[in-house]
Amino acid sequence: MAPDLLPGTLDLLILKTLVRGRMHGYGIAQHLQAISENVLQVGESSLYPALQRLLLNGWVKAAWGESDNRRRARYYTLTAAGRRQLASEHAEFQQIVAAIQRVLNTT
Amino acid sequence: MVSRFLRRLLYVTRQGRMAADLTEELEFHRAMKQSELEGSGTASADSEAASRKALGNATLAREDVRAVWIWRWFDDLWRDVAYAIRGLRRSPVFSAVLIFTLALGIGANTAIFSIVNSLVLRALPVEEPHRLVIVSSPSAESRGNTPAWTNGTWEEIRRRAAILFDGAIAWGVLSPNERLNISQTGGEIQPIDALFVSGEFFGKLGVPALIGRTFTPADDVRGGGPDGPVTILSYALWQQRYGGDASVLGTPLVVERIPLTIIGVTPPEFFGPEVGRTFDIALPINAEPLIRGKDSGIDGAYYWLSVMVRLKSGQALADATTLLRGVQPQIREAAMPATLPPQFRDRFLPEPFSLVPAAEGASQLRQRYQRPVLAILVVVALVLIIACANIANLLLARTNARQHELSVRIALGASAARIARQMLVESFVLAGAGAAVGLGLSLWAGRALVAQLSTAATRVSLDLSLDWRILAFTAAVTVATVLIFGTAPAFRATRVAPIDVLNRRGAGGARSSLSNSLVVVQVALSVVLVVTTGLFVRTFERLATLPLGFDAGRVLQVNVDVRRAAIEPANRVALYHQLVATVATLPGVAHAGGSMATPLGGGGIIGEIQLPGAAPSQPEPGPVAFWNSHSTFVNEITPGWLATYGTGVRGGRDINERDGETAQPVALVNEAYARKFLSGRNPLGETVQFVQAMGARPRTIVGIASDAVYLSGRDGVRPTVYIPLAQRDSQGPMQTNFSMAVRSSAGSPVALAPSIAATLMQVDRNLLFSFRTLQDRVDASLVQERLIAMLSGFCGLLALLLAGIGLFGVTSYAATRRQAEIGIRMALGAQRRDILGLVLRQTLMLIALGIGLGVASAASVTRYLDALLFGITPLDPSTFVAVSLLLVAVGSLAAYLPARRATRVDPMVALRAE
Repeated sequence: MAPDLLPGTLDLLILKTLVRGRMHGYGIAQHLQAISENVLQVGESSLYPALQRLLLNGWVKAAWGESDNRRRARYYTLTAAGRRQLASEHAEFQQIVAAIQRVLNTT
Repeated sequence: MVSRFLRRLLYVTRQGRMAADLTEELEFHRAMKQSELEGSGTASADSEAASRKALGNATLAREDVRAVWIWRWFDDLWRDVAYAIRGLRRSPVFSAVLIFTLALGIGANTAIFSIVNSLVLRALPVEEPHRLVIVSSPSAESRGNTPAWTNGTWEEIRRRAAILFDGAIAWGVLSPNERLNISQTGGEIQPIDALFVSGEFFGKLGVPALIGRTFTPADDVRGGGPDGPVTILSYALWQQRYGGDASVLGTPLVVERIPLTIIGVTPPEFFGPEVGRTFDIALPINAEPLIRGKDSGIDGAYYWLSVMVRLKSGQALADATTLLRGVQPQIREAAMPATLPPQFRDRFLPEPFSLVPAAEGASQLRQRYQRPVLAILVVVALVLIIACANIANLLLARTNARQHELSVRIALGASAARIARQMLVESFVLAGAGAAVGLGLSLWAGRALVAQLSTAATRVSLDLSLDWRILAFTAAVTVATVLIFGTAPAFRATRVAPIDVLNRRGAGGARSSLSNSLVVVQVALSVVLVVTTGLFVRTFERLATLPLGFDAGRVLQVNVDVRRAAIEPANRVALYHQLVATVATLPGVAHAGGSMATPLGGGGIIGEIQLPGAAPSQPEPGPVAFWNSHSTFVNEITPGWLATYGTGVRGGRDINERDGETAQPVALVNEAYARKFLSGRNPLGETVQFVQAMGARPRTIVGIASDAVYLSGRDGVRPTVYIPLAQRDSQGPMQTNFSMAVRSSAGSPVALAPSIAATLMQVDRNLLFSFRTLQDRVDASLVQERLIAMLSGFCGLLALLLAGIGLFGVTSYAATRRQAEIGIRMALGAQRRDILGLVLRQTLMLIALGIGLGVASAASVTRYLDALLFGITPLDPSTFVAVSLLLVAVGSLAAYLPARRATRVDPMVALRAE
């Protein structure tokens, strides 16, 4: 199975994914899996609560639309507030990763 | 923060849809997974099962989603509430004091608001009240009261209303002192209030009968309709006299010895068309001749009916007014009473009709009490604000005491918002408890207040039951109090720097400047309140000690009604004299006299005098309707009347038995009359000539009566002419009731009542009478002023007490903080006087600042009270000075006590405490 993500990282990844445009939940999961070359397998039980959290904070919007195979699907779009959140979280995340790297590289 | 909160609310309200969305979304996810598996070659049935397995526990996912939205939030809230309750229970006395203070404040506000609500805001309990308009006239509108019309006018409006409007209704009560009697024998009466209504009244208002039926137009005809003369009981009378027994329908109720068939009972929430007035029975308007017999005024110039028109749906007020004015000439022509003397005909319906929205019902009571009740509402609101300032200070002190706990929590990672929320929740719990207790208090207090407004003669009854407006008001007040007293402590708590507190370096400076400003506000508001109180109390005092011009002690007023006595109206004057003469001979009676108008009785006779050479009379708008520049009050009295009331004769003579019907007509005038109409000349020998129909004879002034109040103390002394009753200018039927006054030679006049009753019954078994002491009437005339003085006095005391506590708290806190400094100073040889000055200086400055602010605000608000004051200006300097001194005194005392304690501190102890 997928390795544990750092807390809050999933939200960041979803926001980043949505920069490409509107997507439904399944699409987001597929995208994360594909880009990470099957390292990140996002379970539904963490994906949907995370999406709801983003909705609650006003970082994404949801609307029903039609999927490629002509089924009703719920599409998520990034809001302006979401873009700002992504920028600040991204910067923060890079700092942390860099810090962790430094710790790990120091012997 | 805010939008998150709103989204949360949205989620809570649309939970069903949100859950359905999620289910569909998860199903979509699963279907996509399934098709993915199928694409990789798994059989359809297997792929469905596999996709379910891959999806994991859908219920758990749903639960997790729900948790994102609400669960945590509610859970936290609940924990905060539980925590707050635990915290409050740990210091029960502190909490009880806070809750009680809030309960008093919120309860007082709710009680007064419930009165405002029923008096001003609550609409009549009828269908579509906004379509009801009252037929009025411009001058009545400017006086702010509802005019009365004759039955003839009403009949003419009624005939046209079905076409012009959606119908009309009318109702009327007999003159205020004329209550109907349901006692079946003579003697002391069992009075009830009758409401005369038109046949359409209940139907048009949409008020159904609780049991039985209401009137129909067929009942409202002379002599009674198909069921004969009928009546409807009010719910109150039905309960009280018949115990709510439904079998009263069809049985007779004897009113004024006329049996009327009871056909229905009105619902309990219907108090009649006038807010604050109640009725016991309703009668058709056309039953009036039946009840009043030969004294009926239904066909004459008897103004007693209020008329309401129901607008057609969508009909504008202005259009309706135009329609009504269009037919006014015809109405006036047809309604002209045949008995009206020709010279009065141009005074009949002289003004154009106007229409006034009546949705809240017509109400004399509202006109009378609206302003005082609103003033009291402001006063109690101020008390609540002062109480809030106190509570804020107490909570601030507690926040300080809890700094250690708070700093530990912050150090452990609690966010500032979390702590602030927790403090606010505590405040809400406090305020909620206070509001609950206060609501209970208000139910009781509101009723007690309204009971104070009623007098023996007029019952005041208001529907004070809880409705959404009262609950909303209480909720709003509660939230407002939390915002006032809870914000500062919550804000303070978030600014605790853990490291400071753990180092015991209290952040006291900020706290004390905040609580200092609270205390200044408190003192300032107290000044405003106490000034207001002072003005009201002095108004009451002025009115209560006002020279009335008569001696109210030892006088019993006996209202005698001869309606049922078997004598001709023409012989009533003789009967009145006979009754007075008989009563005057009773043992224990010093004087007895009779009059047509009762002093302080709320009504009277107005005469217009001819002034040769003077300008024609000009209307003088004021509290007395129909008063003009040539008006004078008139009273028709028997010999001995002035002596009974103790009104002196300043010059000339009193009237006596020789001033009979055939003697030369005479009159007494009061000093105000001489001042106004005779420009101070000696009135003796001058002539009084009334502008009146049918032989108003010129009268020689034979005496000067000292000034006495006629209508009410507040109305004061107006010109008054006293005429011998035996010499009254005969016109129209003689009134059926007259007012006898009896002065006892010693002791309470009430003791005379049984012997007077027996004597009256001996003269005629059919006489009806009621007793009332003059003192009671004088007291009753001051009910409103006494109530305002009492209430505002109570609020003023409360404000002083709260301000005192606030100052006490601030000074003790300052003294405690400076304990070490004080210890050092004392160790270095400072005198106690110096220390006292040191501690007091700051507090005295706060007091001075507060008083300055308070005096300035009071000066700008008291002018709104002008209409409620009497004999005192809103800026009365002595009140302002006295109040300032009082606050200095109370404030100094409150500051002195803790300051003195500070000086008693042993320097060694103080130093060691650090």
